[in-house]
Amino acid sequence: MKTTVVGSYPKPKWLLEILNMYGEGKIDKSLMEEAYMDSVKSVVKDHEIAGVDIIWDGEMRREEMVSYFAERIDGFKIYGEVRVWGNAYYPKPSIVSELEYREKLVIDDFLYLKSITDRNIKVPITGAYTIVDWSFNEYYLKREEAIYALAEVLNREFRGLVRVGANYIQLDEPAIPTHPEELEIAKNAVEIMVKGIRAYIGMHICYGDYRAIFPDILDFKVDQIDFEFANRKFEDLKILEDYDYDKDLGFGCIDVHSKTVESVEEVKRAIKMALDIVEPDQLYVDPDCGLKLLPRNIAFEKLRVMVKATNEVKKEFDL
Amino acid sequence: MNVTTTVVGSYPRPEWFRDYLRKVEGLQKELNVKVDEEIMKKAISEILDEQRRAGIDLPTDGQLIWHDFLLTIASRLDGFEMNGLIRYFDNNLYYRIPITRAKIKRSAEILYDLDVAFEIYRDIKAVLSCYTITKLSKNMFYKKYDEFLWDMCRAIREEIKRLESMGVKYIQIDEPSLIYAKRDELGLLEEIFKEITRVKSETILMTYFGSAENIFPEVLDFGFDVIGLDFVEGYEENLNVVREYDIHSINIGIVDGRNTKIEKVNDLKEKFEKIVSSDNFKIVYTSPNTGLEFLPRVKAYEKMELLTKLRGVII
Repeated sequence: MKTTVVGSYPKPKWLLEILNMYGEGKIDKSLMEEAYMDSVKSVVKDHEIAGVDIIWDGEMRREEMVSYFAERIDGFKIYGEVRVWGNAYYPKPSIVSELEYREKLVIDDFLYLKSITDRNIKVPITGAYTIVDWSFNEYYLKREEAIYALAEVLNREFRGLVRVGANYIQLDEPAIPTHPEELEIAKNAVEIMVKGIRAYIGMHICYGDYRAIFPDILDFKVDQIDFEFANRKFEDLKILEDYDYDKDLGFGCIDVHSKTVESVEEVKRAIKMALDIVEPDQLYVDPDCGLKLLPRNIAFEKLRVMVKATNEVKKEFDL
Repeated sequence: MNVTTTVVGSYPRPEWFRDYLRKVEGLQKELNVKVDEEIMKKAISEILDEQRRAGIDLPTDGQLIWHDFLLTIASRLDGFEMNGLIRYFDNNLYYRIPITRAKIKRSAEILYDLDVAFEIYRDIKAVLSCYTITKLSKNMFYKKYDEFLWDMCRAIREEIKRLESMGVKYIQIDEPSLIYAKRDELGLLEEIFKEITRVKSETILMTYFGSAENIFPEVLDFGFDVIGLDFVEGYEENLNVVREYDIHSINIGIVDGRNTKIEKVNDLKEKFEKIVSSDNFKIVYTSPNTGLEFLPRVKAYEKMELLTKLRGVII
């Protein structure tokens, strides 16, 4: 039984200020780089103090989970922002030519993180299905062609990652449950992404109706699926039970949409429910999703509670 | 042939207006701030100018403060409570789901933002919806769905009467949910829409996100002056519809409002000619198949220009 995170963490306020100054051209690139590296150090320290077993760098460089990668892959072009809801917007990329590998996406972030921590590392990256689903397609005749082409690009990145020592990759695929009719395509895409990759593969899925993706999702070529449970009051555990869930389980048990910090007791209760479904060594305890929208002190407290609850359950079960 | 260019309704917000809304309303789910009228006027007039500049004959106000797409109409009626976020059709867009908690009533203007636009420019189209609102909300009050729909219909009719007395000449009713209507609903829908269309203004029914073949021929008796069909996502089926039935006036949704790819004018021309040669239309509008806010603003503008270019090459 391990504790981990989904990926993002609140950016320190000073980093946001420096980012603004950088945007206005008031500081140079080397200072910005130093700020990124120092912010990763502070985030890592937060994770270490909280006691999380498997960590990531908090995604200090990522503004957003689709365009960040699209900007670094040939074939994408960003014309501007579109709305997701209310007053929230994102730069939605367009696929305008053949998708091809251009430069490293996360390898340098991994190497830097490895150089500053002894903790185990998970590398989260938005999956091919979700990136294409959240982009316009001007080039490929069929959607699946774009998805498979992008999966090849990501596969190349993963091979590079494993070469430099990464052993745990997480595909972030929140778009999968929004199109249950395309599960076959999503499944093929995962197979392309992980082809020849000797690493532990997780897949993070949030939002949407989980029931619509069962039981097919159990055939995806991943070692672990990470779901959000706290946001839906753990009702979805029933689905796992109904379908004899047998993969490792990423167990989202901290609500990232609420500023109320959970009590150790309620998290312990949740973990025990998960242990009714999987064995302790199959269980990865984590928050529902990335923590970036929370105030930093609350994100930190939530991680601390999560680790404390996990440790107490371990002790009670003599693990 | 006399072709009038128009848009379906929504348009990307000017960037400064987006920043303003974010500042006064925040990002979260409580979006009930009344927008300053002068600021709203500035934003709407910018969008009206933009549409006119691109060559749009019949513009809209751009629905610039519609946070919940068509469901914004519910948020302006009594009896609804706006709740958690839910996906808007098959878009990567989310709206707050309206829940009925009491009898649906109209106690204030629904399209108060249209009034602002109407002051600036009179040849403008008002956009409302009825059936789709009931289909995309959650009913926790009415025992019978029919009663819910009738109350909705009365509220919308009251608003149309108000708009008419104000001098609005074009009323568009957006009903994307109609393409999923069941055959046995069509009798009730005929009564509902006959009530809604019993006005002097020109009424336009707009369907999109697919073909409307399911509601033919019944929809011809709903009383609309113009029927709008999506010839991007339901091209083949809707082409059969116009070949088979006698539609006197049509809105041809011909430019793709959900993809940044800019179509070739000649391809559009070929499509257009196929559509109009199959019937003898009295009024022909051309428009994107959907609202334009699915696109970044620069592309939304190019899509409108495309309509103007298309009109330039058709005889």
